[in-house]
Amino acid sequence: MHEQFKQVGRDLFLQNAVSSHGGNISVRVGDRIHITRRGSMIHNLTENDIIETGLNEDDSGIALASTELKVHRGIYKSTTATAIVHAHPVNAIALSLDQDVIVPLDSEASYVLHKIPVLSAEHTIGSEEVMNIVSDALKNYKIVMLRGHGSFAIGNMLEEAYQWTSELEVAAQIINIVRSAGINVQEYRKDSDKYEQW
Amino acid sequence: MYGWMGKVIRINLNDNKVSTEKLDENLAKEYIGGRGFGSKTLFDEVPVDVDPLGPENKLIFAVGPLTRTKVPTSGRFSVSTKSPLTNTIFDSNAGGFWGPVFKSAGYDMLIIEGRAEKPVQITINENIISINDGSKLWGKGIKETDQLLKESLGKGYQNMMIGPAGENLVKISIISVNAHRAFGRGGVGAVMGSKNVKSISVKGSKQPEIFDQEKFDFMIYETDKWIKANPLTSKAFPAFGTSVLVNLINEAGALPTRNFQQTYFEDADKISGETIANKILVKNDACYNCPLRCSRKTKTNKMEGFGPEYETIGLMGSNLGISDIEAIAEMHYISNDLGIDTISLGGTISCLMEMSEKGLIDYKIDFGDIDKTKELIYQISKREGIGDELAEGSKRFSEKYGAVQYSMQVKGLELPSYDPRGMKGRGLGYATSNRGACHLRGYMIGPEILGVPKMLDRFNPVGKSGFLINQQDFFVVVDSLAVCKFVTFAVGEEFFARLFSTVTGVEKSQQDFLDIGEKVWTMEKLYNLKAGFSKNEDQLPKRFLEEPGTGPAAGQVFEQDIMLSEYYRSRGWDENGIPTNDKLKELGLEGIDYHA
Ligand code: SF4
Repeated sequence: MHEQFKQVGRDLFLQNAVSSHGGNISVRVGDRIHITRRGSMIHNLTENDIIETGLNEDDSGIALASTELKVHRGIYKSTTATAIVHAHPVNAIALSLDQDVIVPLDSEASYVLHKIPVLSAEHTIGSEEVMNIVSDALKNYKIVMLRGHGSFAIGNMLEEAYQWTSELEVAAQIINIVRSAGINVQEYRKDSDKYEQW
Repeated sequence: MYGWMGKVIRINLNDNKVSTEKLDENLAKEYIGGRGFGSKTLFDEVPVDVDPLGPENKLIFAVGPLTRTKVPTSGRFSVSTKSPLTNTIFDSNAGGFWGPVFKSAGYDMLIIEGRAEKPVQITINENIISINDGSKLWGKGIKETDQLLKESLGKGYQNMMIGPAGENLVKISIISVNAHRAFGRGGVGAVMGSKNVKSISVKGSKQPEIFDQEKFDFMIYETDKWIKANPLTSKAFPAFGTSVLVNLINEAGALPTRNFQQTYFEDADKISGETIANKILVKNDACYNCPLRCSRKTKTNKMEGFGPEYETIGLMGSNLGISDIEAIAEMHYISNDLGIDTISLGGTISCLMEMSEKGLIDYKIDFGDIDKTKELIYQISKREGIGDELAEGSKRFSEKYGAVQYSMQVKGLELPSYDPRGMKGRGLGYATSNRGACHLRGYMIGPEILGVPKMLDRFNPVGKSGFLINQQDFFVVVDSLAVCKFVTFAVGEEFFARLFSTVTGVEKSQQDFLDIGEKVWTMEKLYNLKAGFSKNEDQLPKRFLEEPGTGPAAGQVFEQDIMLSEYYRSRGWDENGIPTNDKLKELGLEGIDYHA
């Protein structure tokens, strides 16, 4: 398990999807959660940086677990996901500041994600409010953005949740390039106007 | 109603009573269709202690809200019953054209109860439902029955029927659909035979109504895009069918060989999908509205027919030590015509072969003996000689000789063509499946062999339960909608939730779908618990736990204890595999007495 955490953490950092100590990842096995340690260096996770704690019940693990444990628990309780990646992808965060939904322009993310809802909360870190809105949205989407904060992605395995995160950040980067360069997009996709309804 | 036709047929053969009922809207919203309808109806109407071959058992055929729509592969439908082979709650799924035409006749479900005094054939032509004398068809093979029905009924009918094996209550018999697709497993053919029903034919011209046609067209476009983009659904299945798996599974060390004594077959090349394509393939073929076209029309020097599919190749080929693809194809044609499930057949004959090899039975047959195997197929279908004992399936057969350790089964259902030592998650799926060893209750071939959705280490015993559970639950929904599991290589639950909502107007999220799947799965589990099944039956044969695999799986055994306890924990069940009260409450199943 450590190997997978380490790889995903490193790759998130390399993609500019987290800062040195940002983001957190977890997997669920039954009623146990394995989650990154609060304040761990995500691009260089050691075995001691993966904390095991309960899905429902607190134990000493909560003293070490990520600040977002509450949100991870909430997501696991409302969905049957078995892995979560929470990241701070810079391009997607920038876009989330003025969008209610991110609709990719590139073909890959159009196929895979169609659209990414952007949610808003007053208290963006580890709050009950975030837990509720993110958990609810992830019942019907594999990745969502929290405005100004970052992404939450779910999967049946860590690699899946990582893939959605990576796809989102590439898609957002393309949108930002297109916007800043003032490129006039020639639509190549049939029914792309319907993606917002996804 | 959008999506559903809103009507159910109930036929009681004890008094030839035919009635139609309105489809319960709550049943539709909560259980979707297909397997969901079947499991719920069986749970409510068939007590756990009924004799599966007695008149109290029921046969429940059901289509789903996506059946007969433009959704690719939406020609599937299901039958649910109490299985005479496993004594568990059971459902089987088939393709072909019967399901969509049944829906066109205006119905969602057909419930058959009781037992006819004499053989009957049933015809459904929209509002005209008749039970006719079927004596002339009784005793006929499946191809001939289909032909005779086509001649006597005229154009537009789709037929479903049993062969001699079903008539003779062979516990590994099938119900054939369109003479070349089948409800294959669990001895459902014997249940139809026990009711004296030879065939059921349908005709109709109605269409289900779509709630939001414009959005539905968009969803179909998006689904088609993925099917075309995915190499499995757009290339591998059309080119080789399921037999594309032979070499892949062999190279993984998971191809059952000589009654699962080895996990690698030295002659796999001779029975592979590539060999079929070169030697016996005539053309590929498809079920209703299916672009994947995995079905194969084939021809040997002496015979022609459909198949063999991957499962037959494994169980009747490598597992019997047979590497002659023409012989395997011919045994497949014969079994199809007599109406026998080739997975259980292969597993039962291989058990006999090993018992013979070890001198545990006074009957001589070697691995690789094609002639004797062919002879046995006929004997089983007629319950003649040793065929009468083999017709009971490998578990009952081997138990009679005190040799049950040579029967490769779970809950009485013979293992399909994937050895759990080469694919540990697959083994966990066999152990925990509600209907016994089944490869379609969570398709671990995806992550363990094909990298769908991602590649998992196939030898790793830990951390797979969550994935398997989500797949088991998702496949309940797939069987209820009802579409083909192969299309899920290209599109997952988010597509189906959206397709369902646009077709029916009933909003469901992808998580709602998984929750419905979990509820049905748990209900099936409760039925089995009440019928006396316990953790003792969630077990693989000792061979897999104690005798290491060979070839690429050399040294591997199935670590059952670790995997099973992780699975129970992940399901929210106790250490004995019993759903906790909290879990039952969460699923709305509290208060159900499931104690045996
Ligand atoms: S993929 Fe094969 S089994 Fe499935 S619907 Fe298509 S032809 Fe039938």
